[in-house]
Amino acid sequence: MSDKAINSGDSDELQALFDSIVNANQPDEAPAPAAAAPAPEPVAETPPPSAAPNAAMSMEDPARSMFASIGQLTRKVHDALREMGYDKSLEKAAAAIPDARDRLSYVATLTEQAANRTLNAVDVAQPLQDKIEADSEALASEWDKLYANQLSVEEFKQLAARTREHLKTSAANARATNSQLLEIMMAQDFQDLTGQVIKKIVEMAKEMEGSLFEFLVQFSPAGTGKPLPIGEVDASLENGPVYNADGRTDVVTNQEQVDDLLASLGF
Amino acid sequence: MTDKNIRFLVVDDFSTMRRIVRNLLKELGFSNVEEAEDGQVALHKLKSTTFDFVVSDWNMPNMTGIELLKAVRADPTLKHLPFLMITAEAKKENIVEAAQAGASGYIVKPFTAATLDEKLGKIFQTLNK
Repeated sequence: MSDKAINSGDSDELQALFDSIVNANQPDEAPAPAAAAPAPEPVAETPPPSAAPNAAMSMEDPARSMFASIGQLTRKVHDALREMGYDKSLEKAAAAIPDARDRLSYVATLTEQAANRTLNAVDVAQPLQDKIEADSEALASEWDKLYANQLSVEEFKQLAARTREHLKTSAANARATNSQLLEIMMAQDFQDLTGQVIKKIVEMAKEMEGSLFEFLVQFSPAGTGKPLPIGEVDASLENGPVYNADGRTDVVTNQEQVDDLLASLGF
Repeated sequence: MTDKNIRFLVVDDFSTMRRIVRNLLKELGFSNVEEAEDGQVALHKLKSTTFDFVVSDWNMPNMTGIELLKAVRADPTLKHLPFLMITAEAKKENIVEAAQAGASGYIVKPFTAATLDEKLGKIFQTLNK
């Protein structure tokens, strides 16, 4: 590892950040604004806007010390990484995040467009089909009457003319419906495009996972050499679709399970 | 027989999903449908116009579906409204939370027209008792 290349990074900025955090952690040295609350105050009063030039100063004490600890940890990690040459691979991983974000919004846009395109086509085609159905049914019942000898010659002539007209419009409507079906088919092209993009994101995530895992193994606190349990961290109720239900007992995978659960609770 | 003119409010932050739910409701004969893109807009609409039925997503910006449900149940003029959740949130915790907050039904996405029909039927049956 070339130390020079590594040192040419943002260490000045990091040093400045670190210093500001350390200063914030030592209120005696920093000029104390009038509104800054002393330590034992349980709830920090909302400071007037003029009294908050330093965000860390307006925080409550536990938050401030947590902030400082994170800052110190960051510094330690940064130094350690530099020694090990890991910062380059992590830098690469971090640089991949905005890229992944862009790719994902691309996927979101494409899928939305495809859904709209499909729904538009359905909106156009459905009335055409409804007309074919309604007209066919009306004519069929007229023809039933003819076969039951309930129509006069004049009525039969009218029926024949209307039927001829109907066949022509039906052909036209069928053609129009077909072109909408084609449109629906074409709208599915998003699958190909998004599929490729998603594949790339998966590869990128794998790489990122690899370097982060390596990093975790190297720097996890002494005695805990095992990786963090995955999937047990998020206890929130806003998780979105379950994209992988393998081995999970805390989720349902179909409507029957929802119904069973509700029934078991007496709902 | 269910009155096909009852007024639905479909709440989802994705316009495509609102459209799909609206189309499905239309397919089932309910064409009196309004839309809202989050819980906040929905609550405003519920308070300013009369609705007979709420179909809501869970995960939305500003105000989530569960917050909307709780707000509806806490409001004396709205608390009687049938409230059907249609959501991708599939944790058991979510379902229990929704049931306890007073949801009339819970459908997980992706769902079918048949499921929607069945749940609506069940809710109407309960209402008419």
